[in-house]
Amino acid sequence: MISPDTSVPPRLILLLRELARALLPTLLINLMCALAVTYLLRIGDGFYENLQISMCIGLLAMLLINGARLLIWGDDEPNKLGFAVLLAVLAPLAVLLGRVLATLLLGQPIVSLMPEHSDNIIAVMVLTFLVCFGATVFFWNRQKMATLQAHASEVEKHAVLAQLQTLQAQIEPHMLFNTLATLQSLISTDPLQAELMLNQLVQYLRTTLSASRADSCSLQQEFDLIKAYLGLMSLRMGLRLSYTLQLPSHLGRLRLAPMLLQPLVENAIKHGLEPKVDGGNCTVRAAVHNDMLVLSVLDTGVGLPTSVSLNQPPAQKEPVIGMHFGLDNIRERLSTLYGPLAELIITHNVPAGAMAQITIPLKSLKNAHRSGKAGRSPEL
Amino acid sequence: MPVSALIAEDEPLLARALQNTLQHCWPELETPRLAANGLQALEMALESLPDVLFLDIRMPGRNGLEVARELAEQWPDRRPFPLVVFVTAYDEHALEAFERAAVDYLLKPVNEERLGKTVQRLRELLAQRAARSQEQHLEQALAQLRQLVSADSPVPATPPARLEIIRAAVGNRTRLIPVEEVIYFEATDKYVNVVTADGQALIRTSLRELIPQLDPGQFWQIHRGTVVQVRKVEAAVRDEAGKLSLQLHGRPERLAVSRLFAPLFRQM
Repeated sequence: MISPDTSVPPRLILLLRELARALLPTLLINLMCALAVTYLLRIGDGFYENLQISMCIGLLAMLLINGARLLIWGDDEPNKLGFAVLLAVLAPLAVLLGRVLATLLLGQPIVSLMPEHSDNIIAVMVLTFLVCFGATVFFWNRQKMATLQAHASEVEKHAVLAQLQTLQAQIEPHMLFNTLATLQSLISTDPLQAELMLNQLVQYLRTTLSASRADSCSLQQEFDLIKAYLGLMSLRMGLRLSYTLQLPSHLGRLRLAPMLLQPLVENAIKHGLEPKVDGGNCTVRAAVHNDMLVLSVLDTGVGLPTSVSLNQPPAQKEPVIGMHFGLDNIRERLSTLYGPLAELIITHNVPAGAMAQITIPLKSLKNAHRSGKAGRSPEL
Repeated sequence: MPVSALIAEDEPLLARALQNTLQHCWPELETPRLAANGLQALEMALESLPDVLFLDIRMPGRNGLEVARELAEQWPDRRPFPLVVFVTAYDEHALEAFERAAVDYLLKPVNEERLGKTVQRLRELLAQRAARSQEQHLEQALAQLRQLVSADSPVPATPPARLEIIRAAVGNRTRLIPVEEVIYFEATDKYVNVVTADGQALIRTSLRELIPQLDPGQFWQIHRGTVVQVRKVEAAVRDEAGKLSLQLHGRPERLAVSRLFAPLFRQM
């Protein structure tokens, strides 16, 4: 990538980059031209001299053509007719200048450039023009292919990310039906409570559904979703579940990808507290340490399974099971969006239960969700 | 004749709702007692010996299937085994198993009409029960449970590799034990005890995780917490009370065989 700090004009950098890329193929083409001129056309004073001349002409032609193209069209695709005219002018020019250069390098007298010594000059010019034309078409196609490929892989990456996000945001049917059952039972016995629960369910469903379509949300929104979810769960689990949410007000407006934290809270309930006979507490906390946003989900539930390592991707070919899949998915999104310093760690909580912690550098968080970029995900 | 019931459901609101609806559509039913988790359900069921059991599938402590299975093992002979109705919010996997084993089940949210049908069926079954022997009745319940148990442990997409050598902790050493030397595995609280002719050792895993790694032809589960190597079994003995136990080669103790697995040792 071009570092934005350098003062070199971008076109020059483009030129240098393209020259570097074209150098080896150009040298090869020059070699073939020298061979062709010496052994097929049988002109000139011998292979060595012809190679020198060919190198000079070829390199000059490449320099002139690329320079002129970038000067006129920049990084855009050149106009076809204009480019043909450019070739028609520059190819003979390169031949003339290249010959002068080669003559000087070979230490021959300038006299040898006089017309009577240059009876094949037209043939050389036509050859140069044709070779330049062929080479340009070749480079063009190669570049187009590379651009297309880069574009395709970018699109693919977006598609995978969007898919992961949709999967992550899926509402677990078990949770939904249990909540509806509770709601049904409350309608006749405690209509006020039922209304409260219905509101929480609506908020939970609305936020979850919109999160599956958005690129980013504020930390406050993510915490609201978690609050609605934990509210629902505590109505259902009764005294078995207590919870604490800690979001410092100045962090509420920070933007991040949706559905990073929420699945960890669902894990804490589903795998930690629901299976525990006495239930326990779930604490969700946001803080900043050393320019890192630290999001923690702590539970006092049954703890982590002994035999599985949740901090490593599952061994190859191992079936991907529920919790593992969710964690891999979060890790995948963290690294794609925020780079290698962003991580998710699962450890034991003291004295009991589990802790999940997401760490994201504030800088990458801001880079990834600049206000201009906070739009919708690409249409698929 | 009054009928007694127990509801095992970890969500208090749902437990009470089912209790209310049941009383509404089954007047002869005594107010069902409520158990808040699987362990409590087991304890209360063995204590009150109800006629009908409503078991939530997902519960802390023990899940509904585990409760039914342990009850079948521990149920006293003097009372007929209860009619079991499983209750679940959403579980495609379990529903399929219920259908196959022809077990009663209810879906949450429980619909009163559907519950009415279930109650109707339970009443008929209770009436028939008087006509049949206790043994037949338990055997039928066991047959259903056997089917459910095999469905309870889903087969992983790729079967795990067969275990050849067991690495077990003995004090601060790690002992290597070839599986063919193991006489039986016994589940303890968080570990599995590996018993060989010359001693015991602990491994940090659950029986549930261990079983798929064993050759099913060589190692048989004979109880909720016991897996035995068939070649090390000398004989199966039935005592006066009808309980089955195994005599072993190389170990003095006897292993109890639960009712669920007793058919494995029927004479040819």
